[in-house]
Amino acid sequence: MGTPIAGTPGAAGVAVGPVWRYSAGGTAEAERKPPAAGQPGAASAVQAAALKAAGQLEALAGRVRDLGRPDEAGIFEAQAMMATDPELLDEAVSRVEAGEEPASAVRAAADAAGATLAALPDELLAARAADVRDVGARIVRILLGEEIDLPGVPSVAVADDLPPSVAAEIPPGFLLGVALEGGSITAHAVILARGLGIPAIVGAKGLTAAAASATTAAVDGASGEIVLDPDPGEVAEFAARAAKLAESRRAAAALRGRPGATADGERVALLANIGSPEDAPRALDAGAEGVGLFRTEFLFMKRGTAPAEAEQVAAYAAAFSAFGPERPVVVRLADIGGDKAIPYLDLPAEANPFLGVRAIRLAAHGSRELLLTQLRAIWRAAGRAGVTPHVMAPMVATLDDARLLLELRDEARADAAATGDPLPDGMVTGVMVEIPSAALIAAELARIVDFFSIGTNDLTQYTMAADRGNPALGHLQDALHPAVLRLIRDVVAGADGSHIPVAVCGELAGDPAGALVLVGLGVDELSADAGSLDGIRAALAAVTRAELDDLAGRALAAGDAETVRAMARQLLDRPGRALDGPDRTSME
Amino acid sequence: MQVAELDVRNPSGLHARPAAQFVKTAAAFRSKVSIENLTRGSKPVNAKSLLSVLGCGVENGHRILVSAEGEDEEAAIEAVRKLADGGFGEAVGG
Repeated sequence: MGTPIAGTPGAAGVAVGPVWRYSAGGTAEAERKPPAAGQPGAASAVQAAALKAAGQLEALAGRVRDLGRPDEAGIFEAQAMMATDPELLDEAVSRVEAGEEPASAVRAAADAAGATLAALPDELLAARAADVRDVGARIVRILLGEEIDLPGVPSVAVADDLPPSVAAEIPPGFLLGVALEGGSITAHAVILARGLGIPAIVGAKGLTAAAASATTAAVDGASGEIVLDPDPGEVAEFAARAAKLAESRRAAAALRGRPGATADGERVALLANIGSPEDAPRALDAGAEGVGLFRTEFLFMKRGTAPAEAEQVAAYAAAFSAFGPERPVVVRLADIGGDKAIPYLDLPAEANPFLGVRAIRLAAHGSRELLLTQLRAIWRAAGRAGVTPHVMAPMVATLDDARLLLELRDEARADAAATGDPLPDGMVTGVMVEIPSAALIAAELARIVDFFSIGTNDLTQYTMAADRGNPALGHLQDALHPAVLRLIRDVVAGADGSHIPVAVCGELAGDPAGALVLVGLGVDELSADAGSLDGIRAALAAVTRAELDDLAGRALAAGDAETVRAMARQLLDRPGRALDGPDRTSME
Repeated sequence: MQVAELDVRNPSGLHARPAAQFVKTAAAFRSKVSIENLTRGSKPVNAKSLLSVLGCGVENGHRILVSAEGEDEEAAIEAVRKLADGGFGEAVGG
């Protein structure tokens, strides 16, 4: 019998495979040192490391391109060229020949090249400066033998945590599952696993020590079970679970052409969350009926000046055109603030940036033009694509915030009209409900806006006063807590008074158990990662309105999130049904 | 030595993909190829180095001077001229 370890379910899926261990310090097996400065071979070690780095980056570009992310592939291709750039290598080699250590010579050459680019007046080149420093760091890692030893065969990743940079380097198909000793269910690796449809387990105490000598692992992401070095009987059992899951996924995928609905025909629109126009094909493939959350931060981050209106028009028009007039795309105004350094905003440092000047609040603090420019770009992009634009503002706490949004919208339209571009007649304008105050005045807000979109991650963090990113507070981060559910019930009641729709675009909407509770509470639309849509579509198709009403009633009266989740699981798992979804019965 | 003065008319200038195309074209020849940004008045640099070409900061509307010296200098300049006419692989205008 193998060694069983229990963790917290993160992403559904079952896998059995070889163990691939990752630790942040680099893998010990790869330990080797380059020739020291002055020794023969020091210069050629630099050349060889540079060539190897270029090869890795080219391979990475190819994999990312195959995944349908051409822009990212372009960055890696440029980095591959930088790795073997003749001027960079000349500089590094002449430093080595002058007696410098190879690693420090490469670092200095890359830093100098980066500084030259960063000094240019063009903000796009500032990003290239970071790219060349990153290339330098990669060559240095190779020289020092600190590079990550990626799995050579499809494997189960076992680690304390798996950072995004490492996860991105693992070739698709080589990651069978993820088992983490640390991490929370909102960890990047878990979100990645959900997108890939592979299992992820977090918070598995004692895992890394126990797995130090293990060769294979079996994981079930729905139950949180890990078995190290399983015996043949255990392997057969996990294989049977995998087959059952694959069957239920096939059944769920077969529903893809159909709009979301309960078994008795009540419509629930199933929408995708996207982070850039490039996410559109994946969302459409998954049968998304539109986009409930188009995050626009990608336009505003990692740059020295605010994005120009024309650049924004192009990005929004690309997304609008991809989905067309029949599939609305809800653009969320920039959700930025003091948590990220945004040089062109000149924001003062804040002790609590998530309780500070961010998003719509920027308008009253010197950045009104930033939001006006974004709204003008949305008007013009919608005109160009021939669609009615949908927009929502995050961080709305008061009626005045909502009124300000409407005022900015109208002012932006008047400005945009002056350009002579064709514009749509109206903009469907909503607010995000993620601050408890907004939930409590939902009836009043509903009289002046066109829709609500509940951000359950932030609504939970603000209701429970528990930082989303703090793993020690995992038990306070479950959006199924009855306190959060009662706020959602109030939002729905407030919306019903003015007959406006309510969407949910947080993580809870993509979790089948969460989706059932939300629709039970009267939510009209669910927006989630494209990879979650099959699971929630199938979950809804198997239940009736009456069953969901009953579930919602019991959930509102429950004492804690675990109880609510167990109730929803009971409905999901009743006999005759085999549904695929993260079973997060325990948040401990 | 062969030289060509060229106007850069593609939207992103010699950044990103157009710069990579330019460097790949120059690197395909044995001749020494260099580029200078006449608009900015920069010094000539190695056209086979992406970092050097990016460092010229060539933007849409700038004028560049490309020179080639070596056995295949004529073919090198011809290839660069053709690339520039095609907008360095990027749609011109917009």
